[in-house]
Amino acid sequence: MNKDKIANFINEICDEKEYKIIDSNSAEFLNLNLRNDIGFDSFDLAHLTVMIEDEFDVDIFEDGIVLTIGEIIKKLE
Amino acid sequence: MNILLTGVSKGLGLYIAMELLDKGHVVYGLSRTNTEELKALKKVHTKNLNLLQYDLSDYDNIQKVIFKTFLRNVQLHGFINNAAIAYDDIITNAKIERINEMFRVNVYSPINITKYAIRNMILNKISGTIIHISSISVHTGYKGLSMYAASKGALEAFSKNTAREWGSLGIRSNCIVSGFMDTEMSSSLSDEQKNRIYNRTSQKKAVDPKSIASTIEFLITDNACSITGQNIFVDSGTI
Repeated sequence: MNKDKIANFINEICDEKEYKIIDSNSAEFLNLNLRNDIGFDSFDLAHLTVMIEDEFDVDIFEDGIVLTIGEIIKKLE
Repeated sequence: MNILLTGVSKGLGLYIAMELLDKGHVVYGLSRTNTEELKALKKVHTKNLNLLQYDLSDYDNIQKVIFKTFLRNVQLHGFINNAAIAYDDIITNAKIERINEMFRVNVYSPINITKYAIRNMILNKISGTIIHISSISVHTGYKGLSMYAASKGALEAFSKNTAREWGSLGIRSNCIVSGFMDTEMSSSLSDEQKNRIYNRTSQKKAVDPKSIASTIEFLITDNACSITGQNIFVDSGTI
């Protein structure tokens, strides 16, 4: 459930910024690096942060840097 | 437009609120105290003036109290940082506790509010505006105001860099550099001291708060869409 929501948030930004859309069912999904694999810059990460905070009431960057989608999912558990 | 305004209960804050309300904006006002003037304004603008009593020296609860409760579901178009306290003394008498208290209200809380205001704008895809009220004392020295001026100088630097950082998303940040007004904040000055200050201006008089309020109303509109990262002097031509 969380996995699909996060994928939707990421893809909303990818769509806006014309990055490659990601597949939440792919084997590497959880290991995708937000910056290196998806291409997010700090503004994209800020956008993702506020969408996640609005939905889950969790600030994923509050206590350190988050690098992969898997790390986001873990913070929401 | 939905505008968050700090220091709404008296002085310049009241003038800014009146100007924004008269132009049809919705004001979300913060203040430590409630005043008779503010109560009267609320009676006239029951729907468009929303008030919260909050002490800005408490920067830890800004997100919880202001953004998650008071501004819940509000799409913010602007943040006007007007609240400030002045610590007026010569440097050799400086007390670190009082400097800390002033910086909490004048600098740390505005930075924290800006953080959440920009987050609100990003979430709602709004090209919003941030305006800080600075002081002419940053640019022209006055005896006894070095520590207050330092807090306002910090805000000017913060505003310039905010503008640079978020300009590509259409979020603008500017400072109004206010000259001396005849408000409660300067009430401890004698007439002689005030006249000495006014004599350093081209117009030889206090700044009219209405002039600042109308400049702010202009800055939050699309008419000012290309103005960002600026210090705009409304100071009776201080020289």
